[in-house]
Formats: sequence, structure tokens, C-alpha cells
Amino acid sequence: MLSLVLSLLLVGNSWATPLVQDVRVTGRVTSAEDGQGIPGVNVVVKGTQSGTITDADGRYSLSAASDAVLIFSSIGFESQEVTVGGRSVIDVSMRASLSQLDEVVVTALGIEREEKSLGYAVGKVDGEAMRQVSQENILSSLAGRVAGVTINQTSGPGSSISVVIRGATSLTTDNQPLFVVDGVPMSNTLNNISERGDGNQIDYGNAISDISPDDIESINILKGPSAAALYGTRAGNGVVIITTKSGSRKKALGVSFSTSNVFEKATRLLDFHYKYANGNREGVFNEGSAYWGGPQLDVGNKAVQWNSPLDEQGNPIPTELKSYPNAMKDFMQTGVTSTNNIAVSGGGDNGDFRVSYSNMLHQGMIPGSDLFRNNLNTSVNFKLLNKLTLSTNVNLGRTHSNNRPSTGDRRANPLEAVYASSYVDYNQMKQIWVPGQEHIQQIRTEANDNPWFIAKGIRNGFVRDRIFGNVSLTYDFNDNFSVMVRHSLDQINETRETKIPFSYSRMLRGGYYLTDIASQETNSDVLATYKKRVGDFDLSVSAGGNIMHAQFSSSSVGTGGNRNNGLVIPGVYNVRNIPLDNISVSSTLNEKAIYSLYALASIGFKDQVYLDVTGRNDWSSTLPSSARSYFYPSASLSWLANYTFDLPQSVSLLKLRAGWAQVGNDTEPYSLYPSLATGNYNTINTVSVPASLLNPNLLPEQATSIEGGIDINLFNDRVRFGGTYYTVDNENQIFSVLLPQSSGYNSKLINAGLIRSRGWEFTLGGTPYQQNGWTWTVDLNWSTNKTTVEKLGGDLEFITFYEENGGGALTFVGEEIGNLYSRGYAYVRDKNSPYYQWPILSSAGEWIELDGRENMRHVGNFNPDFIMGMQTGVSFKRLRLNASFDWRKGGEFMSFTYRYGESDWKSQRQLDNLIPGGLYSADELAALLKSNPSAYIIPKAGNYPRVGGHTAETGGLPVDGDGHDGAFVPGVIQVAGQDTPDNFSDDVYEEHLGGPGTNVYPITNTFPWGFNEQVTFDASFIKLRELSLAYQIPDIGVFRNATFALYTRNIMLWTKADIGIDPERAFWANNGTQGNTKSQFRQGIERQNVMPWSVSYGFKLSFNL
Amino acid sequence: MKKLMTIKKVSAFVLAFLLVSACDDKLTEMNINPNGVDLANANPNLLLPSVLAPVAQNYLDLGFGDMAGTMQHTQKNGWYGGHNHYDWGVRDWSNWYGILRTNKALEQRAIETESDFFRGIALTMKSFIFGNIADLWGDAPYTDALRGNEGGMQFEYPKFDPQETIYLGIIEDLKTAASLLASAEEGGVSASADLYFKGDPKGWQRFANSLLLRYYMRISEKRADVAKPGIEAVYNAGMYIKTPDQDATLDYTGGASDVWPSQYTSVDAFTRWQACQTLVDQLLSTNDPRISVWFDPVAVQWVADAGLATAEEDFIRADGDPLGVVSYTYLQFQEMRDTKFTRHFNPNDVSRNDDLYVGLPPGLTLPESYNGNPDPGQGTRNQHVSQLAPIYATAGSAGDILKARLISAAEISFILAEAALKGYSVGSAETHYNDAIRNSLTTWGKAADYATFITEPGVAFEGTVEQVITQKWVASWTAATEAWMDFRRTGYPALQAGPAAAQPVLPVRFPYGNDELNNNTENVNAAAGRLETTSYSGSVGANSQWSKPWIIQGTGKPW
Repeated sequence: MLSLVLSLLLVGNSWATPLVQDVRVTGRVTSAEDGQGIPGVNVVVKGTQSGTITDADGRYSLSAASDAVLIFSSIGFESQEVTVGGRSVIDVSMRASLSQLDEVVVTALGIEREEKSLGYAVGKVDGEAMRQVSQENILSSLAGRVAGVTINQTSGPGSSISVVIRGATSLTTDNQPLFVVDGVPMSNTLNNISERGDGNQIDYGNAISDISPDDIESINILKGPSAAALYGTRAGNGVVIITTKSGSRKKALGVSFSTSNVFEKATRLLDFHYKYANGNREGVFNEGSAYWGGPQLDVGNKAVQWNSPLDEQGNPIPTELKSYPNAMKDFMQTGVTSTNNIAVSGGGDNGDFRVSYSNMLHQGMIPGSDLFRNNLNTSVNFKLLNKLTLSTNVNLGRTHSNNRPSTGDRRANPLEAVYASSYVDYNQMKQIWVPGQEHIQQIRTEANDNPWFIAKGIRNGFVRDRIFGNVSLTYDFNDNFSVMVRHSLDQINETRETKIPFSYSRMLRGGYYLTDIASQETNSDVLATYKKRVGDFDLSVSAGGNIMHAQFSSSSVGTGGNRNNGLVIPGVYNVRNIPLDNISVSSTLNEKAIYSLYALASIGFKDQVYLDVTGRNDWSSTLPSSARSYFYPSASLSWLANYTFDLPQSVSLLKLRAGWAQVGNDTEPYSLYPSLATGNYNTINTVSVPASLLNPNLLPEQATSIEGGIDINLFNDRVRFGGTYYTVDNENQIFSVLLPQSSGYNSKLINAGLIRSRGWEFTLGGTPYQQNGWTWTVDLNWSTNKTTVEKLGGDLEFITFYEENGGGALTFVGEEIGNLYSRGYAYVRDKNSPYYQWPILSSAGEWIELDGRENMRHVGNFNPDFIMGMQTGVSFKRLRLNASFDWRKGGEFMSFTYRYGESDWKSQRQLDNLIPGGLYSADELAALLKSNPSAYIIPKAGNYPRVGGHTAETGGLPVDGDGHDGAFVPGVIQVAGQDTPDNFSDDVYEEHLGGPGTNVYPITNTFPWGFNEQVTFDASFIKLRELSLAYQIPDIGVFRNATFALYTRNIMLWTKADIGIDPERAFWANNGTQGNTKSQFRQGIERQNVMPWSVSYGFKLSFNL
Repeated sequence: MKKLMTIKKVSAFVLAFLLVSACDDKLTEMNINPNGVDLANANPNLLLPSVLAPVAQNYLDLGFGDMAGTMQHTQKNGWYGGHNHYDWGVRDWSNWYGILRTNKALEQRAIETESDFFRGIALTMKSFIFGNIADLWGDAPYTDALRGNEGGMQFEYPKFDPQETIYLGIIEDLKTAASLLASAEEGGVSASADLYFKGDPKGWQRFANSLLLRYYMRISEKRADVAKPGIEAVYNAGMYIKTPDQDATLDYTGGASDVWPSQYTSVDAFTRWQACQTLVDQLLSTNDPRISVWFDPVAVQWVADAGLATAEEDFIRADGDPLGVVSYTYLQFQEMRDTKFTRHFNPNDVSRNDDLYVGLPPGLTLPESYNGNPDPGQGTRNQHVSQLAPIYATAGSAGDILKARLISAAEISFILAEAALKGYSVGSAETHYNDAIRNSLTTWGKAADYATFITEPGVAFEGTVEQVITQKWVASWTAATEAWMDFRRTGYPALQAGPAAAQPVLPVRFPYGNDELNNNTENVNAAAGRLETTSYSGSVGANSQWSKPWIIQGTGKPW
């Protein structure tokens, strides 16, 4: 691939040589208003990438061809083009401009429009802005930059990134937008998780990350149906339009190069205490125990440990128990990401081209993990005939990894393994294998896998080849009429391979898994466009058609259900090495097509009022013949009121806009008629009846959106404000509702419901300060969204996103999507009782779990109240400092890392919350607890009170005459036989507050395991996502436009919960789909997704030749 | 301008029309699922294993799992709330109804293909599964169940039928099944797909009739009018399971789809599983030869040593020689099975169980610490308590003793012995009882010990229901669900809940699960309302494991 680039480079140089006849041009750029020099003006030789910027005094100097044209541009000023014409001094006076207001954006179907003429809000991100700080995935760069767009990275680098625009509106999908790259719809889903071997769930990352950030010119986000109506079916969640770079038609050749290198280090860990060794009981050491409730560490206690030396008789010698609170930091290595790009572009009268090669190497912080990406991007535009233009854009990409860490779940998650023991120095386990037993037996403690073995021994590799691109022909019949035909392809071939060595605790004889996935989507389009200006009217009409065909297939072979019979020969990873009686195979094939016709018209009046009307009809293979065809229209209006009314000079723009749109949607293939699922019982083929009822009478879904907004621009772009209010009503959704299993089915597919989203988006930007060479710019965006379930089908009262531990994420009719619930517990409901709201305990002194939805407790919602982003930059002469913040306020998440961690008695938070009952007499204690029941007795989110401690000194209570590590649950006990549950009038309660008869257990046995409420936390956070300092280096010889930047990512992260878990990553990757949804991710809950917080430092160098 | 628009509209319409008419069929065809099999063409042999395998596996999971804990065959020393303390939350029955869904398709295909054999199998399995549902939960959807595909509230949210209705329905279905199977011809049912009886209709006929005996006996206290003639009729016809080779079983082969459940998890999970002292006492008191088939001796036996200066030695001894450590791992002990490990204690200072076989007493507060365990971990080993025999840590291989047993010759013989004691005309109680003992010993490879064992005090026939049920409880190893049903009906064996049990008596049913509570609320609440709440039902209310279902209402049993 590289040789191809080089050869192109050489050829290019030989073209370019005769053109160079450089002269030195100097001059000064001044403001037309006050004659002051303007610093920071870009001076570029037109058609090339060579150029410079003016200094603090407005002066510049550069070399250019004697017949070259110089382009002078700067924010807030009108650009100017000046022909050199052999002059060596060129002074320029620039006028303040509305250049921002005339900005062109790419809208649906690749149609370029002036932004001011649009009746809806478009989110724009400049490719350059995103590249200032290098990210492994292009989507990471979008975080906080666009109002109404929520970006969540579900785990560490390489994991899936969720993009949700204007809140989740679909009950059944992952709510991801449609990505369109240069007109090619790209498949992208969050559902890339599979379990390969017990407890080894891997997120292979969403395929949109295959795009190289270096090739991106701009990203435009069409947020709602209004903007997206023309993309049809898949645009209901918005469209992210990515435009890649292309060459220039001017006769010049340019080479650009950039390199970016980031180093990432772990900083913040979980708040685990590292005070006690593993063990269930005070003073009793036990390597096999998951609890950190054993002897105190670092006080001279000795025990026989996994690495104890042997005496002469071969008996192990007890050694001191010490804590290793930095185990995770020691385990983590420095993550390194190096991104390099070289691009060659150029052109002639008849066309242009650009060829770009990008390479990314990533070594993860988790030892052994990596990610590599290679992209070759080619774009060619060529005028075949006078009126016929051929354009093609072809991208070849390979993304691969030798090892993706399993971070979404337990068991094969190296992060969990590091947090398994408090007393182990894992540095001593770097050598994975017991000497002489390589590939057969790992070095480990008695009960837990060696994290080095988990990280480096278990290997989850993949290779994903992706080809996408298109060929289009445009024929311009005349200035008014043109026809374009285009064929595009997006094809992915992916091979995933997992190798599990012998001695993995869940698969003692290892395992091997191989999966091949192929997906292909083709789109054939024809689009005719007619444009005409008639008097005050500007008219544009287009009509076209599209045939979309998509196919997905996968086949898989691997170790079967007998987990301890995975491989025959250790260390050999090959299908043939799987025992014949324990092979599992599967394959699947999906196919779907949509035929479409569409038309749009745009009418402008006096350049002040613009009306857009669109209509589209789809025919989908996934719907029954009778309902296959569905039509949906849209209309939007933009009114530039500042041209209509006589407003003060300071108002550069006052735009009012409004839009109404519908989008129809189909469903997944094979949703109509049942078909028996195939399977195997050992070597016998079997079939079974699927548990989901399908529906032969499905109708298309319909989303109706209304949005209105205002855009104001003051003082020639010094202040910009935008505000949008939108509503989206999603009706007739195709989703599955749960049935009781006794009906024979667990769900049925229905067409029903009304899901309503309402939201506000505001943007405020400008240049507060621009003087004396200093420029300070700020862009703020703020958005809020509420999505409620207004109606479900029939008598349905709620919809389930997922269920977990007697609670989960459910939404009842009338409630907001994202509500989180915990299982209920028995408590005193009689308001007149002195024990009102106290928990009623079992006779054994434990909380009583109450199941069923009427007992569930609402504990939060996983959506934030609002999100706010801020980008700000300060520039002085050649220096520029940029920062990007992201603030999310409100919302909750459930941490199952803490559920396990606290159940295992590891978290400091839980120790801190203990009420040290052993320090008080029984009477004092009861008085203390009763003095403030809401703090000491009544459970609340994040704390179910318990009284006791781990040792006598820390307030522990005696247990069994055998240690002082006891604790009890405060509350009341209902006296047996006195009552019936339906009638609380004659309740007799006995206090359970530490007096005689109190049920005391070892503290390790007192965790409220059944209640998610104990581990529900506030999800608010503020992140300083990016901070960069760039210096534009003056041209040196052939090196031009060179920039050197230093940057850091995530240098600041404040979370309200303050438990060492990033609320943004409150996602739980699952092998199967969840509840009523088709998503593999559970949102608002995480389990062992505990990559330590990290800080990255990087530098970037780029220049042109 | 307007004209142009019109032309466009018309041409678009024409194009659309052509497109649709030409492509509609193609789009329809594209949406036919290539990954599945059309029910209309499905060979019943393909459906059969999808019913038989999971039924046996689920039944074993109960009988070897929490039911073995409830009935005090086993106890666990980690994650023991459900196993030892009856600390049960709600229980879904989705696995059972899920299998019934496929079983219904099997029945439909049997009717369509006019196969009496398949129909008999489907009816037998339907009865077995509904029997379990009624046994474990009580009232349950039956007449309106499994018809969600017909649509409408009645079938999508089925009402619960009384437990009695289900039992009587099962009995009718089993009679039909037995008569279909009696006349069914061999063939059609493939030997490889019939995981229980290898395509032998006689095997299925015996299975159906044996289930009849089980359910007649089940309702014998409440509906003696049905039970007595029923049992006598089956007995007189003589076509029921009489010898262990006729048992309804599923082999555990260690293949991808059937792996013995305790092997399926890690060594740690296996070592959580230990003998219960209640069963160990019973086995030791009668010199029962089956003890060595089911349990391992303790890895380290306590030795009383009154001269010891300390309460207990902080090391173990190998063949009497002191070692420098107080314990080895389970696997290390397994590797050194020929070595005799001991540890000394002073009986004046501490109390230890120094038997070779030691069980965990039921429902201990801290079972992990029992009998001086030096490694009280969360579900780790206890060298001073008996583990299950090592074979239960293996995946299983065809022909070994690891089988899921749905019903056995031993059980049938015990039923007939009990029936005889009740005065039913089914022959001699003693003969049936002796047959039952012999059948069970044969099952566990100890047939040779029968002659001695049957003469042991306590084993030799005494003519009491208590003795019959007690020996039946012993014989129900790995199938303890049936023992729980007997206990509930008769109160035998008179098991006591342990000190840390959530209530001081044994539970008598499963609480209805979240699946129904959340999605079929009205009907499940109506059913819960028909349960008899007891003073042990507590704050949970009617849907408690201590509320009595119809089958024991008014019987005064088991407590």
C-alpha cells in the first residue's frame, strides 16, 4: 500500500516541477474599518496547500508562483482573492463579513445548501477541529461538540461508541443514527458483542470506527426527521453525514503529512480499601475467598500464601500479609496511540484526485491489548466529456487486533482479576506459566486467575476488512438540468478468533472459537435536478430513486457446551484440535431490500424566505405485501427576517425557521412468519419453537417531527445564538411486548404505542475578545430532552428495557424512558406507626425481598437532565490554545461493580457507611439509631444501613463467640403469627436495634444483595475532554503550513458519585439482546467496566510539501 | 413550471407502479427466513430431543440442586441461602412452559402425521411437565396456557387453573397416552432422537403408566376416590416400570449438550457441594452401601486425642506423620487418595465430628466454618466434611451412573408398597418394599449388597409408611423433588429446618415468579389468593413458599 502511495508521489512530482516559478511576496493585512493590522489571517496560495498566517501586526511573507492567486481569510472578515501578477508587495484591506452566515452545509443526498436557507438545525463539526486532538475513534471527537448529541464510549479504546441524537426514541433498536460517508450509507450498530468461552464477552467495536479521521473534511449532523426525511427508513435517529477530503482542480500537486502520538496512563482507581486480606472472617486468611474480610494487612500478620517459600521438608513457610493498593496501576502499562497520515492530491482542468494513506497503531493500557488500522482512501473526479463528470471514491480499510480485552463482564475480564485480591503482588505473576508447564498451567492463587494470564493468555483477535465507495456519473444537460447516477457499496468481511489456553478457571482445558462475518450493502441511485431563477424566485426541483440491498451472514465454529473439554492438545489453536464430541457450529443469513422513489423542491423568495418540500416512498421487503409501500413527506421554512425588516446594523442575521416531517420505518427481516429454530443436541439435529411471537400484519412505523428555531448573529459574527425546540412523536412502533411464559411465548411483536420526545437545544458562540493579536472564541451548546411513553398497545402498562436483580430499566405508560428500578423490601407502611418506613426484617434479621412490579422502587433514570458542551480557544500570533468541555447534569446509574465489590466487602465507601455499633452500649446504640431513623435505619439510594464493623476497634459486634467482625441490620421484626400481610392494622413490631436477640452476622454476610438501590449513584459529571496548544511553524524550505501541537485528553474528570467509575461508561455489554429491545447493551448499569481513569498526553506534527 | 411538476409526478407514479408490480414478489421471497425450518414440514424426530433433553436436565437440576438441599441430601458451604436456608425468592417457570411450547408443536405434528407413537410421547411429556408445574407452584395456567399465538387477552394472559384440575387433566392425558402407546407400532420414532427409550413404544407405555401411579399417589389424600381404583388398575395391567433398566433416564455423556451440572462450573463450585448430616446419619445408621457411591470420606479425619495440649493441631498428618500445613487443596487431596490424612483434637476442649463420613448439619448459620474448617471461604472446600464422590465432578460419559432420572423402578415399587399399606389391592407391601430396595441398590451398582442390607435393623421391613417413605427419600438421590412431594404429603421423613432457616419449618411450594407477577398480574394474584397463608408466610404474603397449595390444604401435613 505504501509503495503505491510513493509511486503516486513520484509521478506527481514530475508533473509539478515545471510549474514552479516562485517569487517572494510580502505585505500587510489591515482592517477596512480602522486600518489596524489583522493578526492570524490565513494567506493561502490558491489551489495549493501552501500558505502562512499574518503576525501580530498583520504582516506576512510567503513564496508563490508569479501568476498565483492568494486567498486571504480570517474569521469575521470577508475572504479576498488577489492575483500576484508578479508583484512582491501586496497589502490587503479586509472588510468585516458575514462569511459564517453564508456557510454551505451538506444535507441529505449530498445536496449542498447555504445554511441560512435551511429550515432546521444542522450540527456541524469541522474535520480540522476534530483532528486537533487525536482519538482512536472519530466519534470520540464529537463528544460535547453538538447540541442534542450524546456520545458515550461504552468502555476503553476500541469499544463501541454510542451516538444518540435527541434522545432515544425507538423502543427496539440501539437508536444509532445513520452514517453516510460521501453518499454511501454505512452499516453501524452497537451490537458487536459476542461471548467466546465462558465469561469471555468481547465488544469488537462498532464498524464506523474503521474510518480514518485524517480523511474527514467535515461532519454534518442532521438531527431529526425534518432534516433526514429524504434518507428514509433508517434516518429516524438522525443522520451523520461525513464528507471526506478530495483533491483540487487547480494545477498543482500537494503532499501533506501528519503524525500524532498519544501516551495514556492510568490515574484513578476504584475506592477499594486494601485494609484486609481475602477471607470471610476477621483473622481467618483464605486465598479462595472473594471477600476482603480476612486478617488486617500491613500489621505483621503472617499466613501461607500462593508464593510462600518452602522449608527443607517441602512445607510452605508463612509470610507477612501486605497490601498492594497500587496493583492496578502497576498492572496497567502506558497506552500508546500513533496515528500517521500521508496524502497526495492534485488535479488538472479535467479533474482532480486525492490519495491518502493512514495508519494507526494502538497499544492498550491493558497489557497485551492492541488495535491497528490501515486505510487507503482514493477520490477522483474527472470530466469525461464536456458535460459528463465521473466521480469515484474508494476506501480500503483493515482494522485488526491481536487481542481485544474482555472488559464488559466478569471472569475473563483482567480488570476484575486485578481487583480479586488485596494481598497479592501481581508483579510476581508476570511470568504467566508454571515453569515446565507452558501453555498448560498458569501461575495463580488458589482461587483466582492470574490477571496477566487473563490479559495476555486469553486472546481475542479480529481482522475486519472494509471496502466502501461509490462511482457516480453526472451529466449536466445545461446550467439548469442535471442527472446523476450512482452506485455505492459498503462491504465488511470480518474474522474473529479467540484462543483460550489450558488452566483458565472457567475452562480448564481451554477453548478455540472462529467466526466469519460478512455484510454487504449496495445502493443504486438516480437523481435528476432542475434549477432555475425566475424573477424573485429561486427554484430547485429534484427527483430520484434508490434500490438498497443488504445482506448479512455469519458462521461460527468453536468449543461446545462442555467447558472442561475445550481442546485436545494444549497450545494448539485450530478447529481440528477441538474434541469431536464438543464442537459447536452455527450459521445465519439475513437479507433485505428497500426500493424508493423520492422528490424534493426548494423555493427561495428574494433570498429571504426559503421553502423546502420533500416526499419519499419506500417499498420494504421486511413488511407484508399489503403494507410494504409507505409514503412520508416533509416541509420546512426558513425566513431571514433581518432582510425583511429594518433592524439595527448590529443584527447581522435574524433567522426564524420551522419544519414538519415524517419518517416511515420498516423492521428487521423475517419478522412476519414463525420459523422453527435449528439447533443440536450433541450430534443430533434438532428444531424448537421460538419464544417470540411474530406478526404477519405489521405496518410501517411512523415518526412525526416538528421543530422551530431562531438564529441570531450580532456584530458581524462576534456573537451567535441559536435555539431550537423540537417534538418527535413515534407512533405505531414495531416492538415486542412481554407475555407471561404460561402463554407459551415470552414476547409478541406488535405495532403500537406513542413515544414522545420533547427537547430544547441552544448554542451560543462568538469571539468575546479580538484585539492586539489576541483572539478568544467560545462555543457553548446546551440541550435537554425528555422522551416519554405515552401509549403502549392494548392493556400494556410498561415496557422492559432490561431486568436485573428484581429491578432494572422499565418504563410505565406516562413515564420517561430510562427509569431505573430496584426490587422492593418490606417496610412499615402505616403512617401512624412510630416505625413508619422502617424496614421489616425476617426473623433471621434480614431485609425481606418483595418481588413484583407493584413493589419495585423507582431509583432513578439513566438519561441526564441536560448536557452542555463548551469549546473555547485563545490564539495569539502563531499560538493557539483550545479546550473542549462536556458537562452532563443529573441522571443515575447502577454499578454492579459495586454490587459485587461491596458484597465482597472491598469498598471503602461501605466501610465508611457502617455504624460502629460495638463502640456503644445496647441502650446508647438504640438511642443513637432512633435519633435519626432516616440516616441510620431507613434504606436509601446508595446506602442500606448496617451496624457493626470488622474488628472490635472499628465497632464490630461479637459473632458466635468467635471474633468481633459482626454486624446487624437495623429495623423491626414482625412478630410471627400476629398478622396477615393484607391487614396492617394490628401489626406488632419488635425493634431490632442491637438489644438482646439481635441477629448478628459476620459483616461479610450482611450485604443487601437483592436491592439495586444500594448501588445506585448520581451520574453527573464534568469532563475536560481535550486541551491542546498548537504552534504554527513558519515555512522552512519545502516544509510549509507546519503545525506542532501538544495536547492532553480527559485531564479532568469530576463525577458526583466519586466512586472511581466513569458514569459515561454505565453500559453493560451482553451476549444476547435485552428485554423488549434489540440492543446488546444495557444502559444505566455497568458491571466490571472499570478501566481506570486515565490521562493522555500527546503531540502532533503536520506539514505540507 | 407547474407543467413540469405534473410531468414529474406522473412519471414518478408510472415508475413506481412498474417497480412495485415487478418487484413485489421478489421482495416477498426475500423475506422468507432461510435460517429456520417451516413447522408444516418439520419431522417430529427433530422436535423430540428439544423436549426430552431439557426436561430431564431441568428435573435433574432440581433434584440434584436446591431440592437436594431442601430435603437434606446435601448442603452447600457457599452461596447457600437457597440451598440450606430456603431463602428463596420468586421462581419463574419459563423453562417448563418453554419446553411445553415445543412439545405442543410435537403433538401437532404427531396428529398431522397420524403417529400414535409421537402423540403418546407428547402427551406423556406434557403430563410430566405440567405435573412438575402443579407440584412446585400449585395453581397454574393449564386449559388456556400455551395458546398465546391464538391472540386475545384470554390466551395471551391465561388464567390459572386450580391445582386439582391440572392433576386430574394429567391423569386423563396419561391414560390416553398409555392406550395410544399400547397400540403404537415400533418405528417412526428414531432411536437417536428418543433420548429416553431409543424408539421403544413399550418403554414409553411403562413410563406413562408409572407417571399415572405417581400422580394417583400424589392426590391420594385429597382424592382417594380417584387414586385407589387408578393405582389398582395400573397395577393389574402390569405395564409399568419394574426394573432399573426400564427407568426413564437421560445419560450424561460429557458431549457438548449434556454435561453433568456440578462439573459444568469450576472446582470451587463443586467443592461448595457437601453431604448433609441428615442423610449421612441415615446411611451410617443402616450401613447403607450407597454412601460410598454418593459421597467421599472426609479428606482429613479428626482424631480425638485427650492428651493434646491445644484444642486442635494447627497441622494435618499424612499417614500419622505431621505435615507443615493445616490443609491442602481439594485437587491435592484427590491426587493423594491413598494417603490417610488426619488431624488431632482434644475432645475436652472442642467438639468435632471424627467420623469418616461427615455431613453438614442442615441450615447452619455459618456452614463454611463447620467442624473446624481451617479454610472458611466463600464456597471453598472443607477438608473435615464429606464432598460428593469424585464422579459427580466429572462431565459424565455414556453408561456411567450420572443420569437424569425422571422416574425409577425403585420409586414405583415404593409407591406400590405404600399403596399396599394403605389397603389398596396391589399385592404385598413387603414384596414391593424389598423390590424397591433391590432396585435402588441395583441402580447404584450395589446389587451384591442387597442380601445383607435388607436385613439391617431399620431397613428390614417394618410395615410402616414412615419406613417406606424414609427409604424412598434415600433412594431419591439426585431426584429429590419427588422426596419433597412425599414429605409434603406425609410429613416423612420428619425433617427439621436448621437454625438459620428463613422460617423454622420446611417450605411447601415455589413462589410465583416475576414473569407472571409482572406480566400476568391479575391472574397470578387471583391464584395466590387461593393459597392458604400460614403463620410462616410472613411479610411476603400469600405468594410465599410457606403458603399451602390445594394438595395439602386441610391435610395437616407436613406441619
